[in-house]
Amino acid sequence: MNRKLNSVLALALAGSLALLSGCGQATSSSEGASSAASGDTLLNLYTWEGMFPQEVLDGFTAETGIQINYSSFDTDETMLAKLEAAKGSDYDLVIADDYIVETAISEGLVAKLDKTKLSNLGNVNPIYQGQFFDPEDAYTVPYGAGVQTIVYDPALVEKPITCYADLWDESLKDNLAVIGNYRVVDGMALKVLGESYNTADPAVLEQAKAKLLELAPNIRLIKDANTQDDLLSGEVGAAVMYTSQVTTACLANPDLQVVYPTEGVGFGIMAQFIPSNAPHSDAAHAFIDYILRPEVAKSCFEWMGYYCTNKAADSLIDPAYQSFLTLPEDFDGKTEMIQNVSAETEEIHAQMWTEFKAACGQ
Amino acid sequence: MPSRKNTRRTPLTSRWMGLTLVPLYLFTLVLVLGPLVYMLVLSFETRADVWGVIPQFTWANYKNIFQPVYLNTFVQSLKLALLCTGLILLIGYPFGYFIARLSPRGKKFMTAALMIPFWTNSLIRLYGWIIVLRSGGTLDKVLMALHLTQRPLKLLYTYPAVVVGMVYALLQFMILAVYSSAEKMDWSLVEAARDLGASPAQAFFTVTLKLTMPGLLSGVILTFIPSMGLFFIADILGGNKVVLVGSLIQDQLLQAHNWPFAAALSVVLMLLTSLMIGLYKRVTHTTRLEGLL
Repeated sequence: MNRKLNSVLALALAGSLALLSGCGQATSSSEGASSAASGDTLLNLYTWEGMFPQEVLDGFTAETGIQINYSSFDTDETMLAKLEAAKGSDYDLVIADDYIVETAISEGLVAKLDKTKLSNLGNVNPIYQGQFFDPEDAYTVPYGAGVQTIVYDPALVEKPITCYADLWDESLKDNLAVIGNYRVVDGMALKVLGESYNTADPAVLEQAKAKLLELAPNIRLIKDANTQDDLLSGEVGAAVMYTSQVTTACLANPDLQVVYPTEGVGFGIMAQFIPSNAPHSDAAHAFIDYILRPEVAKSCFEWMGYYCTNKAADSLIDPAYQSFLTLPEDFDGKTEMIQNVSAETEEIHAQMWTEFKAACGQ
Repeated sequence: MPSRKNTRRTPLTSRWMGLTLVPLYLFTLVLVLGPLVYMLVLSFETRADVWGVIPQFTWANYKNIFQPVYLNTFVQSLKLALLCTGLILLIGYPFGYFIARLSPRGKKFMTAALMIPFWTNSLIRLYGWIIVLRSGGTLDKVLMALHLTQRPLKLLYTYPAVVVGMVYALLQFMILAVYSSAEKMDWSLVEAARDLGASPAQAFFTVTLKLTMPGLLSGVILTFIPSMGLFFIADILGGNKVVLVGSLIQDQLLQAHNWPFAAALSVVLMLLTSLMIGLYKRVTHTTRLEGLL
């Protein structure tokens, strides 16, 4: 009830402010960062639920006086549809997955960042910068990163696992869980073949399909939510899961092994961006800069369980979380991101996936 | 229009009665017909490369369904739905029949006992099945305590687990449909048949079964149609390894961003279900489907 009232108030406020800023737009963009930041009193933050610990949000409000109006979406697709309907207004700061951010940028829904207002930008780990969705880093600042790892319970697996190819081993029969994202799972077969996640070559994809179908007997489970429970309860011995699930699993059972596959590591980035017609762009810049502070970033990543994209925060992270929130010291940097592909390639992937799932059920 | 039947009513009341139907018509137009038309239109459009659709007419989405890999999902869905409906019929019919034969207090007790579990969210009840079926779970513990098995079995994430979940989720529809039919039955007809020399089996097949047929049929339809669509049970208890049309639509919508194809799949699924109902009505010569249609 109270929350509803708040959002109604916030909407009314946002509306009136949008009117005001409409009049003064020409001047506000030329104003300095300090005076502008004090002008905004509201930040409309739009992302998944539970992306920030409450004290981080409260800390921002206490320091700047800017109230945060946090609204959430459940899928990237919902976010883009809403942002499209609002023509890039309504929201001041959005955090979403890399591939959808690329689409949002190409649809003209994202504003360029004013880097003069981001004094802490240098803290970002360069490994997560200059990626496909924003090659010049003109529009986005990375927030959390998901790194595709394999996790296994040594007590339930006969041989140690070091790479994707090991998942095909007969000893893992009916003992493996994978997430329900077909680009990731199809990608495992592509990686074993030494190919790119984003290949558009039908012949290569055909080979990958044959390879993937060979994996079917080992699959016990394809599941997106709470896959870690099945690893912890011993339902499966090994799993390919989302990063936050890996974190939860490892905290519950320290004996679990996290593997960075030697074929190359895939990762995804949740990026922060400011929509093209954001009513409180200055507040959004101030928030991004606040999150980039090492000690703030530390609390965020420890709480969220995603990989830390803030190099300055790496060393601050509690040793208990170090091993699965930061990349290993000897990390060879062989990485690749999953990108949007053409409609034809997407269709091949979708068919490969449907066939694979059916084969798993045989 | 519906008020015309009530000729004895004064014009004023019937006009008022007509007005009260406005929300219903509005509801149907906006929330039922609207989305259906939208879906139908969408299913003939072309997908954009990455995001959205291009308003360009095409049959491609419907043609795509005839790829063996996608046809197979329809076959799998039908197979599972038929299997579950059959099992539900075998368990649910006698169940409903015997409740109808209980004393009034017994009936009250049994219907309440049937309904109370369904006050809980269906997802939560499914998670209950996970606790029972998982390795080292309740069922494993019982079996091992009885020395029937030596080590935990892999019961969860299998086809039988999906069937168990579906039967469990839909059984009460059959039971209640059969019960309501058997309840209304005139049992003296069975007695008359017996008096005239029919064996219990003959009396059952010639009298009871025929008179409870409307309930049985609505039970079949009430279980068959949802079992075509309850893909989340296959996802949760079957480890997502049984590809049903429902999960294919979900994948196409959320992962492939191929909304036109997802719409085409939905249209075909709906046509298929309507066809099954039509066929069913024709084969069984029934127009009396209790509580529906």
